[in-house]
Amino acid sequence: MKDKLKIAIYSGDIPSTTFIERLILGLSRKDCEIYLFGFTKKKVSYSKSVSVFAYNNTKISKTLFLIKYSMLLFLFKGKDKRKLDAILKKQSKNLLLDKVKCYPILWHKPDIFHVQWAKGLADWVWVKAFGIKLVLSLRGAHINYSPIADATLAAMYKENFPRVDAFHAVSIAIGLEAEKYNASREKIQVVYSGLRPDQMSVKLPKENPVFQIISIGRPHWKKGYTYAIDALKTLKSQGFKFHYTIIGGANHIEFSYQVHDLKLENEVTLLDTLPYAKVQELMVDADLLLLPSIEEGIANVVLEAMQNRTLVLTTDCGGMQEVIQDGYNGFIVPIRESDAIAKKIIDIMKIEEKAKTSLLNNALDTITSQHSEEEMVSQMLALYQTL
Amino acid sequence: MAKTRSHIQTIGIVLSSIPGYSETFFRNKIKGLQDHGFRVILFVDYLNTDDASFSCKVVSAPHFGASIISAIWFSFLAVLKSFFVHPKRTYHLYQLNKKDGLPFKENIRSLILNHFFLGHNVDWLHFGFGMLAVNRENVAAAMGSKMAVSFRGFDLYLSPLKHPNCYGFLFKKTIDYHVLSQEMKHDLIGYNIASKHIHVITPAIDTEFFTSHKKRAFTDTLELVTVARLHWKKGLEYTFEALACLKKQGVNFHYTIIGDGIERERLVFAAYQLDILDDITFAGKLPHDQVQKTLEKASIYLQYSIQEGFCNAVLEAQSMGLLCVVSDAEGLAENVLDGKTGWVVPKRQPKVLAQKINDVQHLSIDEKEKIITTAKYRVKSIFNLEQQNQAFINFYENKRK
Repeated sequence: MKDKLKIAIYSGDIPSTTFIERLILGLSRKDCEIYLFGFTKKKVSYSKSVSVFAYNNTKISKTLFLIKYSMLLFLFKGKDKRKLDAILKKQSKNLLLDKVKCYPILWHKPDIFHVQWAKGLADWVWVKAFGIKLVLSLRGAHINYSPIADATLAAMYKENFPRVDAFHAVSIAIGLEAEKYNASREKIQVVYSGLRPDQMSVKLPKENPVFQIISIGRPHWKKGYTYAIDALKTLKSQGFKFHYTIIGGANHIEFSYQVHDLKLENEVTLLDTLPYAKVQELMVDADLLLLPSIEEGIANVVLEAMQNRTLVLTTDCGGMQEVIQDGYNGFIVPIRESDAIAKKIIDIMKIEEKAKTSLLNNALDTITSQHSEEEMVSQMLALYQTL
Repeated sequence: MAKTRSHIQTIGIVLSSIPGYSETFFRNKIKGLQDHGFRVILFVDYLNTDDASFSCKVVSAPHFGASIISAIWFSFLAVLKSFFVHPKRTYHLYQLNKKDGLPFKENIRSLILNHFFLGHNVDWLHFGFGMLAVNRENVAAAMGSKMAVSFRGFDLYLSPLKHPNCYGFLFKKTIDYHVLSQEMKHDLIGYNIASKHIHVITPAIDTEFFTSHKKRAFTDTLELVTVARLHWKKGLEYTFEALACLKKQGVNFHYTIIGDGIERERLVFAAYQLDILDDITFAGKLPHDQVQKTLEKASIYLQYSIQEGFCNAVLEAQSMGLLCVVSDAEGLAENVLDGKTGWVVPKRQPKVLAQKINDVQHLSIDEKEKIITTAKYRVKSIFNLEQQNQAFINFYENKRK
């Protein structure tokens, strides 16, 4: 009987972000073994097919971890240890910490090491010297803007992308962007994020006293909230009634000042981050989910809104045009254009129920056909199996 | 304490740290006061190793060590010192804090953190920024000194949004305030501060240093410049959008930004997305002489800030003979008089900014020279260091105009 494929999903943290955890969970139901390395942020229980080799972020935990794996490698894989030590000595800035991170991987030796964040790629190219296949996910900022502003990072990508065995691109757009840094087109496979149908939650018709707009995401400039707030100023000055909530936008002085400066305190609420269930509840209640971002791979929050039958207005950043067709299953405006956001919101406010139902049905069809978790997991597994 | 001019007044200035070489405002102020016979004591929260040779006496806040045990030990010593070395002032501070409703634990904490002020005699205790006076509202009164607080743009407009009601206690005190512009004075009155206690002293620059005798050449390629930290409040993203509009209209320009900051990545990406990255130079932070040389090569200075107390860089640009286009953020409309010494454009409206830059570019040379001459004259006559020094002397001597 053939051994099960051993796949390490590496993001550094355990647990990782929602979408990476979704991938882990999905793969754990397939015929493969999943290894997780890194440091534990929070205790998580996974199924039997997921093995966690992690340390706590304390000196004691790291020391014990290092002693354990140093001994195992010294006693049973001395040659490999010496080879890795030589590699780390050449490239490492913090040799001890790198040993803590790398020794367990050398000991457990997965068939595939899947790095989730490109900026850390240089630290993991060594796995190839031990016959481990290297897979890299192409996600958001790591590909779309960081290398534009950081020439050293761009050079690192250009040097190391040719060494990667396969790329997982979260959108066609990000794959094309990665090609600028010597990622070979043949090695790039687009696998869209997927949602589980049982997580669908719907409230129709919406019964809000004023048009409720919602945005969800961390308070980062790439989310483009300043454009959204400027757009809402236009809406207010034209006499439209609405309320806008940014979940995750609280305690950010730039947004607070803009809301105050534009006298939108009664129309805009900046909320702190909320538990997932509460976010879903507010999303379901909203009339419109607005994604004013200037950069995204494909925003999961848009997919979730489409599944939850909330209308979506997004910018055309990153891979969003691969999900939304303007006027068919949602709405799309150019990036960095607050006037266009305002104008489109006014149009959306005027849509009649029948047309709205049709849009929402189309949006749900898009999710079902293009963004199911089952499909995502199968495609990822197929990608691993080709290596 | 005597308050006549014959008595040498001592001014205690409170800052976070000793002003660096490039922080000309406080350095000039301290030098100006010393030149006019004042004694200055600088109270700082942090002392750097290279601060040894500063021009006035420096008193730094105590440090309590990294561990809990050292913090307890040094706190205990601070309490002992407070009660035995200057018991009267310590008791006074305790009573004043208590009167403000400060709980016992907070009151003791205030004594521990502020006892380093109490052993010094000053006529004025002047907090260089609003936030530095928070939790120290009664220190000057306990010392028997008059209290003053300077507000700059950030601490008047942004800190209260970040720390709601942070100036609740401060604004109940009858003290004197220094602000940079009439707009700031107006906004401070909005907090129920009496107008007579708010004094506008605008920033000043070294007009001799920022002078250009070179005849400005107005070429086909528009040379634009801004001196600013790479921070959202400087409105550089909106500026870029305006420049992108100009580029679409076929206007040739080059834009230099002098300054560095945490939002470099955001701005480089914005320039990239707006297709103007090749038209921009991110020059980073430059020494004064390099700034002066860069200004000399440019024709239009942009300061399209979202929030700005007054802005020395705009004064420097006017003094150097640049045409200045600025936003209407807070003090900028007083810094530049619209249509007379430059142009003021409503903030957050990049299309309007683009149009204004275009209009300015197409003015006749005579019209440009007229604006430049008026701006230079106004800056040199109103915003020079001697005027500013005199204004502070008047402030401390209560001879306010």
